[in-house]
Amino acid sequence: MKELRFPVSEEDIKGLKVREQILISGRIFCGRDAVLPKIAGMINDGSIKESGIDLNGGLIFHTAVSPAGVGPTSSNKFEIESTMEILSHAGIRMHLGKGALKKETAEMLKREGAVYAVIPPVTALLTDRIKSRRVAAFGELGMEALYELEVYDYPAVIAIAGGESIYE
Amino acid sequence: MNETGLKELTEAVADTLVRAGSVFPPDRYGAYARAMEDDTELSVWAMKQIVDNAKVAEKNRSPLCDDTGIPHLLLQIGKNRSINGDMLEAIYEGVRSGLKKLPGRPMAVKGDDKQRIEQSEGLMEDPAGLVPAPLSMEYVDDEERLRLYILMQGGGPEIRAKTYRVFHRHSLDTVLEEIIQWARESVSQLGCSPCTLAVGIGRSHFEASAMMLRAMTEGRYDVQNECEKRITAAVNESNTGALGLGGKNSVLATFMKTGPQRASGVRIVCMRPCCCFEPRVAMLDL
Repeated sequence: MKELRFPVSEEDIKGLKVREQILISGRIFCGRDAVLPKIAGMINDGSIKESGIDLNGGLIFHTAVSPAGVGPTSSNKFEIESTMEILSHAGIRMHLGKGALKKETAEMLKREGAVYAVIPPVTALLTDRIKSRRVAAFGELGMEALYELEVYDYPAVIAIAGGESIYE
Repeated sequence: MNETGLKELTEAVADTLVRAGSVFPPDRYGAYARAMEDDTELSVWAMKQIVDNAKVAEKNRSPLCDDTGIPHLLLQIGKNRSINGDMLEAIYEGVRSGLKKLPGRPMAVKGDDKQRIEQSEGLMEDPAGLVPAPLSMEYVDDEERLRLYILMQGGGPEIRAKTYRVFHRHSLDTVLEEIIQWARESVSQLGCSPCTLAVGIGRSHFEASAMMLRAMTEGRYDVQNECEKRITAAVNESNTGALGLGGKNSVLATFMKTGPQRASGVRIVCMRPCCCFEPRVAMLDL
């Protein structure tokens, strides 16, 4: 099983194949419906550069972060799927969540050199594997803020890579 | 009920809520074991993760899923039992206490009507700020029964659930085929499969939803009628599989409850694709 430590290089992502099982470790971002459009806005207006948020080689896990733990929300919600392009363009290399995405999204991810992976919603297991957490932006959103977590051995499956989708 | 009794009731309700959010019933473990006997490598891997997660959650009495859900309370009352305002307050206090203990996800939305809809004022930090859905009460034949069910309803299944009319054409097949069509579409989009399909059929949208909730409390994985088996088998032909990764087990079982029906060409059907950890339900006899 391939082990990936984030942030990653472009080379790390290039070789990934659909249906490949991976283990994710390192520093990852967590965000969902409320915060991802705001991050997209920061990329659009350029304020991301002064924010200290470095998306290069990064991963965004579509989850809330709360005392109840972490676990994937549906990545095909409008606010999430519609922001994947700008986030990928700004450096995010892996989007991590659950649920089928559109064919157009798969094509966009190929263009941007990013992939989509699915993680089982196993909160009890995932929460035990968090080494540290901090709010990276928009703390006023509570559990829906942008968080940065340091995690180890998060199990996932590559669902979209190189224009190929497990859902097609 | 005296003060001590009310305090004990509150504690028992809190424990029931924690149980609903953290424990698999034995027959669900059995359903997963059967499903893992014959499926793709990826599906078996995903289902094993789900089962391992359930064992850890049960051991730690911690949430099965970070979306700990909205509490829904169903109360059943028989002829010889009664309940008063003090007891209801103790039950609601138990829900608040259980949400702190689990802990529930702090996802109550602040503000007035407009602000809550737009989610513009943020969220409450206290998990106990999450108000339960309106209480549902049912009169039952069992004269001595006073029973509370607590269901924790996650958001993903709510996105994919559907309550709508079906023109039945005096044919059960027509209604079942419609349910199968809805379920195939929703299960393929859910992401947290294998599902348990909860189905209610009634005379109004309220009644169909109430029947669907009752199906979630009464359904059994090891006792399935012909309609339930047929729906499950048909949806599994879609090959959605665990987590949508492809496979034979998109649905573990169907729990279906049919209520009274209207003299009409229409049946109101409520279908909810409960995620891989649901129904999250626990029962307390008072």
